[in-house]
Amino acid sequence: MSLRIVVAVKYVPDATGDRHFAEDLTTDRDAVDGLLSELDEYAVEQALQIAEEADDAEITVLTVGPEDAKDALRKALSMGADQAVHVEDDALHGTDALGTSLVLAKAIEHTGYDLVVCGMASTDGTMGVLPAMLAERLGVPQVTLLSEVKVEDGKVTGRRDGDAASEQLEAQLPAVVSVTDQSGEARYPSFKGIMAAKKKKVESLDLSDLGIEEDEVGLAGAWTKVDSAAERPARTAGTIVTDEGEGGKQLAAFLAEQKFI
Amino acid sequence: MSVTLDNALLESEEHRTLRSCVAALGRRYGREYFTAAVRAGRQTDELWREAAKLGYLGVNLPEQYGGGGGGMTELSIVLEELGATGCPLLLLVVSPAICGTVIARFGTEAQRAHWLPGLADGSVRMAFGITEPDAGSNSHRITTTARRDGDDWLLSGRKVFISGVDIADATLIVGRTEDARTGKLKPCLFIVPRETAGFEFRPIPMELAAPEKQFQLFLDDVRLPADALVGDEDAGLLQLFAGLNPERIMTAAFSLGMGRYALDTAVEYARTRQVWQAPIGAHQAIAHPLAQVRIELELAQLMMRKAAFLYDNGDDMGAGEAANMAKYAAAEAGAHAVDQAVHTLGGNGLTTEYGLASLLTASRVGRIAPVSREMILNFVSHHTLGLPKSY
Repeated sequence: MSLRIVVAVKYVPDATGDRHFAEDLTTDRDAVDGLLSELDEYAVEQALQIAEEADDAEITVLTVGPEDAKDALRKALSMGADQAVHVEDDALHGTDALGTSLVLAKAIEHTGYDLVVCGMASTDGTMGVLPAMLAERLGVPQVTLLSEVKVEDGKVTGRRDGDAASEQLEAQLPAVVSVTDQSGEARYPSFKGIMAAKKKKVESLDLSDLGIEEDEVGLAGAWTKVDSAAERPARTAGTIVTDEGEGGKQLAAFLAEQKFI
Repeated sequence: MSVTLDNALLESEEHRTLRSCVAALGRRYGREYFTAAVRAGRQTDELWREAAKLGYLGVNLPEQYGGGGGGMTELSIVLEELGATGCPLLLLVVSPAICGTVIARFGTEAQRAHWLPGLADGSVRMAFGITEPDAGSNSHRITTTARRDGDDWLLSGRKVFISGVDIADATLIVGRTEDARTGKLKPCLFIVPRETAGFEFRPIPMELAAPEKQFQLFLDDVRLPADALVGDEDAGLLQLFAGLNPERIMTAAFSLGMGRYALDTAVEYARTRQVWQAPIGAHQAIAHPLAQVRIELELAQLMMRKAAFLYDNGDDMGAGEAANMAKYAAAEAGAHAVDQAVHTLGGNGLTTEYGLASLLTASRVGRIAPVSREMILNFVSHHTLGLPKSY
C-alpha cells in the first residue's frame, strides 16, 4: 500500500523584506511578497527523499492561508510533491497556532496520512509548537526536530541533535515528524518540475468542508492575543576608528569599554 | 492579491517561477565564485553541472531527447537570470541555443539521437564557428570550404573569435560546398569533434574577464564522415539563419543579465553610500541616470521576449527583425548600465573589490558580437525601412 505523506507548509512574508504588523496586530501580508517558508523547504525535501526511498509513496502538501498561499503550494509541487490541499476561508484571518493546528489536523484527516512532515518552525511566527500540537490533535506519536529521518517497515526513525547529546528516536506510523535546517539542503525545482506543477491537483477546502465552526478559529477564537507590538529600534551607527597612528590603541580602548577585553 | 494575466507581454506563472529558481541558484554561487574561477583560469563547471541537472540548460530542446520542451523564451530567462547574479554561462549562447536548435530542427534522426541528449543534459558542449578573418560573419563571403572525397568530406579554412572550443566536445563549423548544378558556393554546417585530425585551435589573448576563452581555428583538410554534415546540403542558408536568431536572442539575454547585475550593484551602493547628510542615491544626478538605465533594460527585455515569442511560434522571418532589434537594444542598455554603475561608484567603480571595472570591456561584447551594431543598423535600414543597400 502506498505511503501517504502530508507536508504541512506555511506561506510567509519574505524574511529578507521589510516586515511589519497590520493594524490589528496580525502579520501584514500585503507590504512584503510572500513565499514558501524556507524552513518548510527542508520538510518538503525530506518528504521527497522518503518518497524516493519508498516503493510507492504519495506526497500531499498542505497549507492554511489566503489566496496567495497557493504560491507556496506551487513551489512545493514544482519541487516534486504530487498534489496539494489549500484551506482558505475569510474567517481564518488572525488564527493562532492552536487554531491552525485544529484546521491542519482536520485537513490531514480529510486527506488521509501515514506520515506528517513539518518544518521546525515558521520563519515569521517562529513558535515551533505546531508539530507537537498536531500530533496531540491527531493522537499519534511525535518525533520532532530531526536532523536525519528515515521510514522503514512501518516505522519512522531519526536523529535529534541537542547541545549535549544526539538522540536516536523511533515511532510507529502514523506519526508526525518535524525536521530542522540541518536535515539537508532543499533541492531547487527542476524545469520539468516547474512545468509539471501547474497540472497537479490543488484541492481547495473551507471551514465548512472540514466541519469547523467559525468561532473556533480567527482572531476571536484565538487563545493567544497580541496586546501590543513595537518595531525594533533601528540599529545605531557603529563607531568608526580611523587609524592615524593610534588606531590600535583606540580599538583596544573601545573593546575594553565594552568589556570584551 | 497579485493579478495573473498570461499572454505574450506578461510572463506566465511558470516563467516567473523559472526566473526565481534560476536566480536563487545563481545567487548561491554569486559573483565571487565567477571571479575566482576567472582568476584561477578555471571554468564555472560546478554551476554548469548543477544547472544542467535541474534541466535549466536544455530547456529549449525537445523532450524526447531529454530537453525541457520549451523554447528560446525559457532559455533566455535562464541566461539572463544567471547573468543578473553575476554568473553568466556564455556557452548557453552556442551549445543549446545555436547548435542544439540547428540539430533539433535540421539534423538527421541519427544526429539528433547522437548529440541532443548530451546537449540537453549539459554533459556535451558544442561550440559554434562562423566568423572568419576575412569575412567577418558575412556568410556569403565564407571561405571555409568542404569538398567531397569519396563518401567523406574534406574541410579547410580559418575561423576567428570562436568561444569555448577547448571545453567543447565538438564545434559546429559553417563552411561552404560547391553546388552540383550551378557551381556556386552555398553554406553548409559540419559537426567537427575537437580531436579530429587537422583541426587546430589556438587561444587569442583577450582583455575579457571570462572563464571561456576565444580561439582561432585552423582547418587543414579535416576529414569528416558523410554524417558530419548537418541536415540538408541544399538548405544550408535556411538552417544557418535558424541558428542565428537564437544566438541574437541569447546575446540580448547576456547583455541584459550583465546590465541588471551592474545596476543592482550601483543601486545598492547609491542607497548605502553616504556623503554629507543623505545617501548619494537621494541626489537626482545619481538617481535619474539609474532610473533611465532601468527603463532601457526593461524595454530591451520586452523586445527580447517578443523575439523569443515569435521564434518559438515558428515565425523565423518576424523573429529575425525582432531578434536583431533586441540584440541591439540590450547591448546598448547593458553598456549604458555598466557605464553608469561605474560612474555611480566613482573610484570604487574601478576597484577590484566592487567588480564592475572588468564589465566595462565585457559589456562591449554585446555591441560587437555576433554582429556589430552597425550591421544591425544596416539590416534595419535596408530590410525594415527599405533604404538602399550600402554594400
